[in-house]
Amino acid sequence: MSLWYGTYYSVSTIVLQIVIGLIAALILNEAFRGRNFVRGIVLFPYMIPTVVAIILWKWLLNNQFGLVNYLLLAVGIIENPLSWTGKDHIMTSLIIISVWEFFPFVVLSVLARLQTIPPVLYEAAKVDGAGAWSRFIHVTLPQLRNVLFVVILLRSIWMFTKFDTVWLLTQGGGAEKYIRTLPVYAYMRTFMYYQAGLGSTLAVIMFGILIASTALYFKMFRREEGI
Amino acid sequence: MNPKDTFLSVRGQAIYWSAAILLIFTAFPFFWMLSTSFKPLREIFVSPPYLLPKDFTLANFARLFEQTRFLTYFKNSLFVSSSAVVFTMAIATAGAYSLTRFKFYGREKIASLILFTYMFAPIMIVIPFYVLIKKIGIANTHLALIMAYTAFCLPFSLWLLRAFFQSIPLVLEEAALVDGATRLRAVVHVILPLALPGIIATAIFTFILAWNDYIFVRILITSDNLKTLSVGIADLHNATVIDWGMIMSGGMLITIPVLVFFIFIQRYLIAGWGTGAVKG
Repeated sequence: MSLWYGTYYSVSTIVLQIVIGLIAALILNEAFRGRNFVRGIVLFPYMIPTVVAIILWKWLLNNQFGLVNYLLLAVGIIENPLSWTGKDHIMTSLIIISVWEFFPFVVLSVLARLQTIPPVLYEAAKVDGAGAWSRFIHVTLPQLRNVLFVVILLRSIWMFTKFDTVWLLTQGGGAEKYIRTLPVYAYMRTFMYYQAGLGSTLAVIMFGILIASTALYFKMFRREEGI
Repeated sequence: MNPKDTFLSVRGQAIYWSAAILLIFTAFPFFWMLSTSFKPLREIFVSPPYLLPKDFTLANFARLFEQTRFLTYFKNSLFVSSSAVVFTMAIATAGAYSLTRFKFYGREKIASLILFTYMFAPIMIVIPFYVLIKKIGIANTHLALIMAYTAFCLPFSLWLLRAFFQSIPLVLEEAALVDGATRLRAVVHVILPLALPGIIATAIFTFILAWNDYIFVRILITSDNLKTLSVGIADLHNATVIDWGMIMSGGMLITIPVLVFFIFIQRYLIAGWGTGAVKG
């Protein structure tokens, strides 16, 4: 069960992070006034302590006084306040918080790469009559392939072994069972039930899964030009 | 106005709107924390909520300092993070120098092996680390924490500094050596000044990593007067009655040092990250 929660959590957060991060990086690569300011702000969530991210969102998602529930009720999307940390929605909350906290990493990496794409490539594509969409598909994406390869790899490793975000969200909720991922389970076994052996076994299993999936990932996507 | 201009302005508008949405998505939670931390108790729970506090108050901060050991936690965080930075930087600077300047068997292997340790998330190393620390008998001390952070931050710092050192031309050093300087002198007077921006940026990264950590403190520290801010704030939230105003003000204060440092290194981030830490 922990394996399932963990996989569900990592896959959905990684997909959302990459998509949102990629779009955000493309926006921030355009020229507009105040761009540097927005660039700075967008990276904030990644820099703050996880504890802060969690208390922030727990307050926003509070079922009685939270702003999110208030807005959703006011707009009429929901009729009764949602219990965001209850068993039905806690996974959704966890995914929202994690994506918010970690997508800036994707922005950072992709943006750094975007800035090194020679403008000549776009001009050439324009001369050849390529529209904005086909410029993105044929010029931008191939250029980003290497950085995306690394980003997806790192983020997968980090999301799969993410402990503090998940653990802190379970505190004082009563629904911790529904987001008990492998790292959390290993922690609980070791430090709450004092079964360090079982905890370490779980850590080794996690490591094994990581090695296996990394090897598979390299086999499937690694290009000969290397990284 | 020719058609191209209208096209550009539609495009410009789209960019502005999407940037605005992005800004709200990332910044609004912070704004809400800021706003809540200055609200008196009755305004915090009022419906409909006010965007800004009507009666601006510092009562939340006052409660934070009076009722909790915030100052103790703050001092602990500062001490542990700074010590970790000193140790990490001392080892990482020397290590990165040798990885870029000396030729020895397996140098590149060692470099990629360091990157490989990225795979070991804290949750995996913390269990054996805890067992070790217990055996040595330094569980529940700041020393254990500092060692943990140094071990944890080292790969990252080493990798980042290596990229900085690689960008400094060898010729400069050779010139100094030819002029009769010892290697130590060449490093101190030629290399370190040039690498200083990189060293500062790396030190700040290390500081933020240590400052933000939760898991090592949670596991290695049991006495309350040794706890750092992350755990201290998290524990406030575990109280039976949650004082949101106080928690938000605590959240504000723990975030400020990070953001100050962050603004300071921001220019290195966008420019240096892609070539440094990630791409290697």
